[in-house]
Amino acid sequence: MIFEEELCGYCGACVTVCPLNLLQLFEFKIHKKHGCNTCQRCVRVCPMGAIKGELADEI
Amino acid sequence: MKYDIVVVGGRVSGSIASLYASKNDMNVLMIEKHQEIGTPVQCAGGVSKSFLDTLEIKLSPDIICSKIKGAKLHSPQGDYFTSTNEILHGYILERKMLDKSLAMKSAEAGTDIMLKTHVKDLIINKGRVEGVIARNQGKLIEIPAQVVIGADGIESQIARIAQLNHGYEPIDLVSCAQYEMVGLDVESSMMEFFFGSKIAPGGYVWIFPKGEQRANVGVGVRNTEKAAIHYLEKFISRFNATKIELNVGAVPVCGPSNKTYGNGILITGDAAGQVDPITGGGIHLASICSKLAGEIAAEAIKNEDLSADYLQQYEQEWQQKISKNLERSFKYRQIFDKLNDQDLNKLIQFFNKNDVESLSTLSLWKLALGFPKLFKSLKNIL
Repeated sequence: MIFEEELCGYCGACVTVCPLNLLQLFEFKIHKKHGCNTCQRCVRVCPMGAIKGELADEI
Repeated sequence: MKYDIVVVGGRVSGSIASLYASKNDMNVLMIEKHQEIGTPVQCAGGVSKSFLDTLEIKLSPDIICSKIKGAKLHSPQGDYFTSTNEILHGYILERKMLDKSLAMKSAEAGTDIMLKTHVKDLIINKGRVEGVIARNQGKLIEIPAQVVIGADGIESQIARIAQLNHGYEPIDLVSCAQYEMVGLDVESSMMEFFFGSKIAPGGYVWIFPKGEQRANVGVGVRNTEKAAIHYLEKFISRFNATKIELNVGAVPVCGPSNKTYGNGILITGDAAGQVDPITGGGIHLASICSKLAGEIAAEAIKNEDLSADYLQQYEQEWQQKISKNLERSFKYRQIFDKLNDQDLNKLIQFFNKNDVESLSTLSLWKLALGFPKLFKSLKNIL
């Protein structure tokens, strides 16, 4: 998954849908832990379109 | 550093919870991760008329931008229906000023406030929450407390760590983007809503006037391929107006969390999903629930019983106050989900042809008969 920090509005939408709880929102920073399974949930909720990645089969 | 109550999050929920905890003679700390209370804004600022009474706090007149007397509902094909029904009466508030003002009231009542502080973890001992671990000015600090109140918004780490909320599915959230704009030719007492699969799939566009040709223009969409900002840019291209602020955020519209309390912990506001599933409005509900959270946490400490058994009173009381309305709104949202553009066109036309302000239940059913799909879903839902 690619996070385009320049587009990020720091709203935390991605944090709340990550099933593995890999994301954390700091004041103006999204901290990403390793282990993403590219489920694409964060892509579907980011209001800014700041997250991009390969589409998983089920979506 | 030791407190009776630590409230995580310094927006409406956090300030109200901490205010009422402090008013009940507690030693309270409120922790906010941002360096300024009230920003970035993640809200359109609309509240119902009864909000100011519920709040029981006198707000400075500067916080109220405009008084709302009704709404225009626009169909996908461009018709609109105007309603001045009393349920639509309310105010558009300057949200960042509201947040700051509530934090000031809480501080006046005795709450300590820590800014730019990130809560990393809960101190948990034998299944009981006993404080927080936070990062402040480059240092990790332990802050013991008898009760922790998680008011840290939709992305609540407190709710996740305490296993009270496991996060959401994309379909549970409305993804929102909003511009505050100036130079907009809008009526200052009417909200406007625009519906349609091309305008806002799974949601709607709103225009909330703030007076003097200023308004919040926003869009909420659900589980879409393109981002909310895409739909917003497309919508505002019809205006010759200037953007002065951009706000983004997500709103949970799936109803409240199943459990909002534990040993030594309560969650409130967006962190607990206390949001109306049809309007996406949360300020009013947060003010009701967070007041209860502050008061009941204080009572628990006074009664020296911090157990989940005691704290479940909070859940019982907020459910008593708002659950019925939330359940009804959730049903309405399920009905709304079933409507396609044609249904919405017909519905707005029907509203215009009939005196819907005085529609009886019977005539609503007759209306539903004109929409076979809607009728089926109404039958299933109601």
